[in-house]
Amino acid sequence: MTMDTVRIMEEEGVTHKNPIVIEGLPDVGLVGTIAASYIVEKMKYREIGYLESDLFPPVMVIHGGKLKSPFCLYGNEEVVVVSSEIAIPPNAVYPLTRALADWFSSINASLVISVTGLPVKNRIDISKPEVFAVGNSEEAVNRLKEKQVELMEEGFIAGTYAVMLRECHKRDLCAISLLAQCFPVYPDPGAAASAIGSLDKFLQLDIDVGELLEKEEEIKLKARDLMRQTALSASEMQKSAEQDMPIMYR
Amino acid sequence: MTGKKMGIERRIIKATWGYNGNLEPLYEVEDTGDEIIVTFDLPRVKREDVEIHTTEDTLEVTAKMTEAVCWERWGSIQRQISFNRFRKQIKLPEPIEPDKASASFRNGILRIILPKKRNKVFIPVQ
Repeated sequence: MTMDTVRIMEEEGVTHKNPIVIEGLPDVGLVGTIAASYIVEKMKYREIGYLESDLFPPVMVIHGGKLKSPFCLYGNEEVVVVSSEIAIPPNAVYPLTRALADWFSSINASLVISVTGLPVKNRIDISKPEVFAVGNSEEAVNRLKEKQVELMEEGFIAGTYAVMLRECHKRDLCAISLLAQCFPVYPDPGAAASAIGSLDKFLQLDIDVGELLEKEEEIKLKARDLMRQTALSASEMQKSAEQDMPIMYR
Repeated sequence: MTGKKMGIERRIIKATWGYNGNLEPLYEVEDTGDEIIVTFDLPRVKREDVEIHTTEDTLEVTAKMTEAVCWERWGSIQRQISFNRFRKQIKLPEPIEPDKASASFRNGILRIILPKKRNKVFIPVQ
């Protein structure tokens, strides 16, 4: 076992039936993290494992007096949610995505959905953020078209979810990313609500986002420090490239 | 010496709240060329409770919350702490014209536009 390995530690007795994976790791606007936490809470998913690595900061979380890893896996036989309470260190992105993609492949995941944000400058003028999607294969794109999710046609994508699409592709895993228009450096529960709306087209969990929108201010206050950490990590991940224009000649 | 220095730096980086009830807001500074635009995320704040002060090279924002934030059963020494306002002072990257500054507040986002101090001279092209 090398130092740069990420290990997936599963609880005993956990079984999977071609689950759909929701990856909600911290990124712009904490869209995925807020959406993943809300889904776990609303669906009452139990903790099914955690991630560990020497590349992660030496941090543990205490909830209700219990010691926990900040990188957790939740779900049931049909759904797996990957979430984190701390920012992903930039040097852990590749080992983390490789380890997760290997594990998704070993549990025969039917679809991997990364939920994240698409930073937009005029977010303040947008009342209901739109959601765009990227697929990692023809099959993934067809699934997005089938669910009538608008595709991102041109642009750069950067960060954990971008690498996740590629790593899944290498393992013949169907993966998509859902990107909700969001504030780049402020927690964005409104964007998370839009993302959940699109996510539900694949999961059919019928999640009501009313409470998420009602508690918007409370969530923003609670997520303040994670947002700050994530913004610092993001600057090392070329996240600003997402606002650049790609070359038009191919 | 290194340890002491690290300690000080760490405190500077991590000081996002104080024992005086002040919480540091998330903010973003953008340089558009002619202006410096600073936005602040101020949840639980009403427009009338925002105070902005500027000089040529500093910006200070204080905003009272409608309801205090209270963290309980948190940490080993600090069992309970509450915050009732945001406060942040920023050193601006370039001198600005305080009299020409403007601000707007919508959905908890404060946006302050600070025109840069400039003595523009037109240069004709021969």
